[in-house]
Amino acid sequence: MKLLLALLGALAFAALPLVTSSNYIIGVGISALIFTVAAAALNLVYGFTGLLSFAQLGFWGIGGYATTLTVMTFGGNFWLGVVYAALLNAALALVIGYPILRTNRHAFVISTLTFALLVALIARDWVTLTRGPLGIPNIPRPQAFGFAFETTPSFYWVAWAFSVATIGFLYALCSSRIGRTLIAIKQNEPLVRAQGISPMPYKLASFAIGAAITGAAGGVFAFHLRVIDPGFLDFYYMQTFLIIVIIGGAGSFWGVIAAGIALSALPEALRFSADFRMIIYGVILVAAMFVMPTGVAGWLRERKIARMRQALQ
Amino acid sequence: MTALLSVSDLRKAYSGVHALDSVSFEVAAGSITGLIGPNGSGKSTAIDCISGFQKLDGGKVVLAGTDITGKPAHLIARAGLMRTFQTVRIYERLSLRDNLAIAAQQFDQATWIDEFFRTRRYRDAVEQSEQRAAELVDLIGLRKYYEIETGILSYGQKKLVALAAALMPHPRIVVLDEPVAGVNPSRIREIEVALQQLNRAGETFLIVEHNVEFITNLCHQVIVLEQGRKLTEGTAAAIHTDARVLEAYLGMTPEMAEAEMRGAA
Repeated sequence: MKLLLALLGALAFAALPLVTSSNYIIGVGISALIFTVAAAALNLVYGFTGLLSFAQLGFWGIGGYATTLTVMTFGGNFWLGVVYAALLNAALALVIGYPILRTNRHAFVISTLTFALLVALIARDWVTLTRGPLGIPNIPRPQAFGFAFETTPSFYWVAWAFSVATIGFLYALCSSRIGRTLIAIKQNEPLVRAQGISPMPYKLASFAIGAAITGAAGGVFAFHLRVIDPGFLDFYYMQTFLIIVIIGGAGSFWGVIAAGIALSALPEALRFSADFRMIIYGVILVAAMFVMPTGVAGWLRERKIARMRQALQ
Repeated sequence: MTALLSVSDLRKAYSGVHALDSVSFEVAAGSITGLIGPNGSGKSTAIDCISGFQKLDGGKVVLAGTDITGKPAHLIARAGLMRTFQTVRIYERLSLRDNLAIAAQQFDQATWIDEFFRTRRYRDAVEQSEQRAAELVDLIGLRKYYEIETGILSYGQKKLVALAAALMPHPRIVVLDEPVAGVNPSRIREIEVALQQLNRAGETFLIVEHNVEFITNLCHQVIVLEQGRKLTEGTAAAIHTDARVLEAYLGMTPEMAEAEMRGAA
């Protein structure tokens, strides 16, 4: 049922460039698809495994720069760049995850935040590689088999295919025994250990897969913007991913996907007031948390449990 | 009967205080063994050290001929020792079905590749796990809650879920940390019957418990700890009349205990 809905939703989304010729709306659609993927990756790490990771922002930025540099500096193509971005991020996540996943919850959060800030610093200050604040403009559109995805609608298909593939992969992962084990680790780690499961490999894998997908999403997004500068590591992106996960309902796969699509339009809608955007965002988040502390999916789930409880009495 | 679990010279100190001071005991295969003692006597420390949840300072723990001393908790579980916790631990936001399925999943041969392709190995593993879950759910009388999140259950029911989860993978030995503490007295008898039934089917238990009546009814062998040392051990009946135990544990003289027994009868 849910899968059928998801399939219909994906097809409906594929049809967007057919129903509108507005490059602006299609551009918002591209952002929505990519932000949803990044949010789904954060949901794997935070919602399922219970690791509040701000490092996603760093992975996003590394992915953006890695993909861009693959094309602009190292003479590779876009597709290879996205793969490199994913692999580089997965490797980095394993290296930093191995020590910091051994620390407590708070230290983990601070470490990941520090990592994100560090990546932003490198993007700004390693001028010979990233051109620093000047950024890298004129990123070309990707090509495949002689076809250039030159127009916004044609690039939309690239973003669409990328989203469907990654979200499909994440769904297969989250709905498997591995996904169930991640939820178990989040809920009660000592019990998981008492049941013969070592939590560390699961946490590390979740962190690395989340990093790889976030990085690939960052790479696709850089080719959507066609320019990358240290603003790519603005905290605004992290905030967007986190808000999508929290409002959708951390740990609910489809809740977060739905929220991703719905809320990605919001920053665009709020663009009219760059000064107040953050404040409006904050107000929306706090208000949503008052009404639905466990997100939309959590709210629906509580209704369902209440019904079951009543049925038993 | 042979020793399934053999603990020798177990030592553990917290900043100089001896929580366990050279404790040795054995649990015979197929038995129900009780571990009792007043608060702070080292019962919980002992089972935490045995199950790998605390590092021990010295001693040796052997399970069915395998040395499991100081191994990490998940490897001890895989060796066949499953435990429950004093403050009940279950996955409160998962259904009873998922709680039981997770408890068994590490013990089958199916990998994620098997799962992805739904191989025979995966399907067999799931079927076996569901069969076992169905047996246990009937045993603990929670069949109608099978599909429901365990968070809504009562405290006593949650303890039963924890017990069922520990039994899921057919462990060699189940260590229960205060299985009836905080449980409605009317349900204690049910738990007793269930444990006896499982024991007759061959399951070995080591039970830490405060409820003396529960231990006396159930256990073949009882070990008494006091201040980190083994005070004595013997059959339940012998322990119940042991003067030292009564004094240390119940704060009673044998005469008082006899009077209480007469009163109860």
